[in-house]
Amino acid sequence: MMRKLVAISRPEKENQVHGLKNILMRTEVSMILVIALLFMLATFGTKNFFTAYNLTNILKQCAIIGVISIAQTCIIITGGIDISCGAIVGISTLMVAMGQAKWGMGILPSMIIAVTVAVICGMFNAMLIHEFNVPAFVATLGSQTILRGLIKVISNGGTISGLKTEFSSFASSNLLFLPKLAIVWFVIAVLVFFLLKYFVFGRNLFVLGSGKEVARLNGISIRKTMYMAFAFAGLLYGIAGVMLAARINSAIPTAGEGYETNAIAASVLGGASLSGGTGSVFGTALGTVLIILIDNVGTQFGIHSFVMQVITGGVIVVAIVADQLKKRKAG
Amino acid sequence: MTDEILLKIENIVKNYPGVQALKGISTTIKKGEVRALVGENGAGKSTLIKCIMGVETPTEGRVEICCDGIWKQAKNAIEAKKLGMHANYQHVNIAGGLSIAENYHLGRIPKTQMGLVDWDAMVKNSKKIIDKFHLNVDPKAVINSLPVALQAMITISKISVNENIRLVIFDEPTALLENDKVLILFDYIKELKNQGISVIYISHRLEEIMEICDSVTIMKDGAYVETKKVSEVDKDYLISKMVGRPMADIYSIKHRKPGEELLRVEGLCGKKFKNISFQLYAGEILGFFGLVGSGRSEVMRAVFGVDKITSGRIYIKGKPVQLNNPKTAMLKGIGFLTEDRRTDGLALIQTVELNTNMYSYDMISKGGIINLKKERKRAEEYKEKIGIKTPSIKQIVNNLSGGNQQKVVIAKLLCRDPDILIFDEPTVGVDVGAKEEIFKLIESLIQQGKGVIIISSYLPEALGLSDRMVVMAEGHMAEYFDSKRLKQMNEEDILRAASTIYNQEAL
Repeated sequence: MMRKLVAISRPEKENQVHGLKNILMRTEVSMILVIALLFMLATFGTKNFFTAYNLTNILKQCAIIGVISIAQTCIIITGGIDISCGAIVGISTLMVAMGQAKWGMGILPSMIIAVTVAVICGMFNAMLIHEFNVPAFVATLGSQTILRGLIKVISNGGTISGLKTEFSSFASSNLLFLPKLAIVWFVIAVLVFFLLKYFVFGRNLFVLGSGKEVARLNGISIRKTMYMAFAFAGLLYGIAGVMLAARINSAIPTAGEGYETNAIAASVLGGASLSGGTGSVFGTALGTVLIILIDNVGTQFGIHSFVMQVITGGVIVVAIVADQLKKRKAG
Repeated sequence: MTDEILLKIENIVKNYPGVQALKGISTTIKKGEVRALVGENGAGKSTLIKCIMGVETPTEGRVEICCDGIWKQAKNAIEAKKLGMHANYQHVNIAGGLSIAENYHLGRIPKTQMGLVDWDAMVKNSKKIIDKFHLNVDPKAVINSLPVALQAMITISKISVNENIRLVIFDEPTALLENDKVLILFDYIKELKNQGISVIYISHRLEEIMEICDSVTIMKDGAYVETKKVSEVDKDYLISKMVGRPMADIYSIKHRKPGEELLRVEGLCGKKFKNISFQLYAGEILGFFGLVGSGRSEVMRAVFGVDKITSGRIYIKGKPVQLNNPKTAMLKGIGFLTEDRRTDGLALIQTVELNTNMYSYDMISKGGIINLKKERKRAEEYKEKIGIKTPSIKQIVNNLSGGNQQKVVIAKLLCRDPDILIFDEPTVGVDVGAKEEIFKLIESLIQQGKGVIIISSYLPEALGLSDRMVVMAEGHMAEYFDSKRLKQMNEEDILRAASTIYNQEAL
């Protein structure tokens, strides 16, 4: 074996996190503080915030956006972006409703159809991006438009109702005081956390996001990783679509519209960089909570929803600017 | 040369994350003086140039140029140009898709009375410059269609279109040039000098400095060593000051008798090279030398399966192999340290740990699940073994110095334990200390019976390390030196072989 060599070079500058100031600089910590602050403010400032009904409601909203955001984070880690996530959720919602209400399917087959369609949509995105070299933003923008059109064609532009009661009751029931939807979110978050930490596939996402050439020259198949990443994201969107169908007990043509903004914002708030290579499940989960909470707290304080949109947008912009400043400081 | 001072460099310090590139450089340059700047790769010459030109902002200190009695400082490249400072950088930096005439007139294209581009005037002006530099080329020729040497000359001649020039910086201008072109360049430098324009001249070729420069500033590891009149120094003196020790020592690694054949390449052809054949044996270092653009890196990229080959065969340990992608090459036991570690060698924004392991995750995982304990252990082990200086294995690689980044790349390759190692410019941007450590590493690799290919554009390094050498020029194997012949060669012989001209049509 090799012998240890004499150290000649200068010592490296320390770049580790030290002191209170730096702990506060960490994305997760600062987010937890903001969430706690908002929570306190709303609890003591309004009547209806700290009620079982409202808190359950927040958790249910978080659950669906949370699952989508985790999938979006995986895509952002590879250096991509997925504008079509809301539309894929929409088509999944439609499939599960059509399956049960129109095609006479059981609950499980209808769910399998919905998730399968969502996975295919993801693979389609991967194909556009990898085989035809279309930038992820453009490719998924295109497939979003196709899907939104398809949804209207299939549903005839109308609401599909008549879902099975056992199906929709899943969304309204609790397990140990927690909505079952939220539990699905937690389980998925833990699984993806392990996927990113323990699996070669997870590591490959980070390498790919650091640079395509880096990945290729280190023996990582870009094609395989891209298809797997988008198929996996599709799978999660599919599950989110099923959750959404259960929650609203129907499929409406606009289901999932605008979710892409929330999902991308949650990822970025949680520390994912749009240039790829960084992102975490925990951060994204916090980002999701923050976005839903801001909206809910605003409503509790009686701020008009138009104004709330401005505020939510502002928070996202501030988060992105802060991220850029931090990066510039790090060089 | 007058006694009037043109440029004052005062205590320039430049810090990058994890490394201090310049440690307080001070010197003054007189009007009409030709000043050489020498130092090893990574000594900080290019960084200093960038600070002078306003491309980089120094962390401390200032650079001032005297403009008609007033001292001024360039804050960016545009201001530098206005102050009459021009730099010819190491890499050809002209618009490749445009013609020579357009490049000469960029930013000041002559117009006809109708307000249209006045092509006639442009061609006529350009012809004057082309003739002045004896280039014998059509002004309308598109840059990318020209040989690299000619492109380099166009870049140099482009400086002469400017007015009110006060200072011209040449960063390795002759790396791409043949002898006759070098003489043209020298004539131009003499002309600048006679006009009272100062020149900063960077070159590894010390003979050139002896010939053309008035004075020389020596830099080492980002620090100022001294400035001397050229008449007071000789080559050996400069080398000893640049390296801080006799040059020969750093390359004196223990060689061994080569063993079995590990790699054989026969008649390899690709987009940028033709008919390349060579063998690599266990326990030897095969050098690949060529000027920039000679196709040496492209050959290795093809062997590693990065670029496609049009014909030819590759054998590993006597067996024919198809290397269609880097993954196959990796699994067949080839490790490739690429020319530019920042674009394709390292995942820069990831940790030392991930980078150390990323070339071999399949070896420490089962069913796609990584053994985190082994992952950490390997990173710690290699950090110790090859002396990667980092506060922890969780450090982001981008924050390490060039030398330590290069060590991470090597650690990454060694984790796979490949038999064939290809090092493309292993010491670029690596400081002297780390350089020596890397050479020691290569020594231990050949002692273990690995076959090592080293591509280097730095001749003393290529010559000092190699057992045998292939010299490439314009995509062809210009010369092959077996170990006996290589011992009799000096730098000039190799350089002559590397400057062979081929008929472009043949490629």
